[in-house]
Amino acid sequence: MTVLKENWIFAENDLQKNNPVTYQLITKMKQISHDPVVVILIEEIDAKLENELSEYGPDKIITIKDNDLADGDDLEITNALANLIDQKGTPNTLIFPATVVGRSIAPRLQARLRTGLTADCLDLKFEDDLLVQTKPSYGDNIMCEIVIPNHRPQMVTARPNVFSSEKKINPNLKIESISDLQWKKDDQLVIESHVLPVKTTKDIKQAKRVVALGRGSKTEPAINVANDLKNKLHATIGVTRPLTDLDEFNIDDQIGQSGQTIAPDLLVNLGISGAVQYTSGISNAKIIVSANTDANAQIFKYSDYFFVGNATEFAKALEAIL
Amino acid sequence: MKIVVCIKQVPETTNVKINEQTKNIDRRGLGGVINSYDLNALQTALEIRKKVGGEVITLTMGPDDFAVSLQETLALGADKGVLLSDRAFAGADTLATGYVLGEAIEKMSDVDLVLVGQQSVDADTGQVGPIIAELLQVSQVTYAEKIEARSNELLINRKLDNVEQNITAKLPLLVTVTDKINQPQYTNIVEIAKSFDKPITTWHARDLNLEDSRVGQAGSPTIVRSISEPVEVTKINTRLSDDPVTAAKELVLALKQKNILTEEA
Ligand SMILES: Cc1cc2nc3c(=O)[nH]c(=O)nc-3n(C[C@H](O)[C@H](O)[C@H](O)COP(=O)(O)OP(=O)(O)OC[C@H]3O[C@@H](n4cnc5c(N)ncnc54)[C@H](O)[C@@H]3O)c2cc1C
Ligand SMILES: Nc1ncnc2c1ncn2[C@@H]1O[C@H](COP(=O)(O)O)[C@@H](O)[C@H]1O
Repeated sequence: MTVLKENWIFAENDLQKNNPVTYQLITKMKQISHDPVVVILIEEIDAKLENELSEYGPDKIITIKDNDLADGDDLEITNALANLIDQKGTPNTLIFPATVVGRSIAPRLQARLRTGLTADCLDLKFEDDLLVQTKPSYGDNIMCEIVIPNHRPQMVTARPNVFSSEKKINPNLKIESISDLQWKKDDQLVIESHVLPVKTTKDIKQAKRVVALGRGSKTEPAINVANDLKNKLHATIGVTRPLTDLDEFNIDDQIGQSGQTIAPDLLVNLGISGAVQYTSGISNAKIIVSANTDANAQIFKYSDYFFVGNATEFAKALEAIL
Repeated sequence: MKIVVCIKQVPETTNVKINEQTKNIDRRGLGGVINSYDLNALQTALEIRKKVGGEVITLTMGPDDFAVSLQETLALGADKGVLLSDRAFAGADTLATGYVLGEAIEKMSDVDLVLVGQQSVDADTGQVGPIIAELLQVSQVTYAEKIEARSNELLINRKLDNVEQNITAKLPLLVTVTDKINQPQYTNIVEIAKSFDKPITTWHARDLNLEDSRVGQAGSPTIVRSISEPVEVTKINTRLSDDPVTAAKELVLALKQKNILTEEA
């Protein structure tokens, strides 16, 4: 088995758009590895997703242009990737995003290649060629450091929005287009895909500023003030789990372990206690401000600035001077 | 339809700590329960059986005390349970676990549908399902939110980031289910009493067609080097004034100094 001194990243895209997690993975791998970072992109024949990917500085993009495969199921994509590895050699590492798609294809390919896979990594680093993987377990209560010493590729899925992306032109970028990759079809599944209605609210995962509401700000007046503050800050509203009972919020707005992981520059927490299931979703926020009536609230430990008192009065005062 | 449901016994809470002495997870006093997603998988199987008939077999790999969980699945309505227990299986990662489970399903022969949970709440990987599918060489549908059974196919609904999929899937098939798919039902005294007449079979390594190098620790490519509790964020927690107006002014000043409020986001 030839092992290529390369890091491969599976580029996720849906609706003919790159998923930003791919940019994040490129930036991270460029930061931690001296070896080439190669993006594996499956796309429709007339798509040009490589253009935007190239802005993040990978060393190489292999585009597999194939309309059927672009709509392929997990088994078909596994078949195609296994054939690509047969042709090119085994990369030292193979990274997938820890999305529904990545978490479905990666383990199937892992079993095909009989190698190791670590799910949902929060951090990655190298010791020579060995990829050291940090993975949460027990609902983010325990962190494990995992390695795959004797098998290649070293496979991981990495959680979205944990690493930040950075645009960086790579003058040595190579783009290789493959149009004749063979793969076995799967006749068992017929898949009909519908685009989900575009969310009217801004996507909280991408938001630069977030105003988050907890049970201490669950009243109508409190929500109204928070909305005013949100508008002044050009922010997006997020909530803790108790607020998803209300008609206006759902799981897409929920921050935390069973909701979204966010990475804003500024997060303002109003009436949130700071349960671990919530704070696991905010560890990548840069500046955290929290208001809570309880001087001993857990959330203050995670906050750069905190206000002890009524969150609505604080939000109102802040809104007034912005 | 012959349906196998893979169930895993997990600690009753995920709020665990590390024991300072052993440097391992402190599971003292922690009971075991069936992984919650696996109860959704079992409920799915029972509903399918009700609609199209057939048999529901629950399968678990683990120490002998996992039999308690199998017994519970029988009380919930499964027809029989199979326990895979052997010293040789200890230390298995997802690949080695999926391998043994896959071989056991192979041995049952003519299985139409394998149902697993979307992930186990302790390991949190969601890998075992697709690994089994690959070993059995059947198609897979992951993260199912809705399943409607016909006699020889399933209509399945699932969601990706921005896309909803309606899938018509022929059997044989492996499906992993989310907790949106149903509400697991409770059992009752009558079912519990009946469950003691249902069989639980134990298979050891020698009962299966296994390659030694693919089971247990030997068959596990991943090695856990160390475990730790998440590092506490070391932030400087600055308390603002107790008067809201003064506090707001202090904050705006501080954010401007940090270039947080300068540009429109
Ligand atoms: C498996 C699992 C997964 C979970 N996943 C998530 C998740 O993804 N996201 C999530 O958020 N939760 C999740 N939870 C729930 C989580 O454990 C907490 O229950 C939840 O985060 C608490 O939300 P809260 O802080 O808004 O409410 P509370 O804990 O009730 O806190 C309310 C706070 O508001 C303060 N307060 C009250 N009045 C005022 C006022 N007028 N002004 C200022 N402060 C005030 C109180 O002092 C208190 O600190 C999960 C739980 C489990 C078991
Ligand atoms: N030891 C096991 N025995 C039976 N089923 C298992 C075992 N481990 C995992 N599974 C199944 O695989 C699913 C995903 O588990 P995991 O990959 O560990 O997150 C679980 O919900 C179970 O259905």
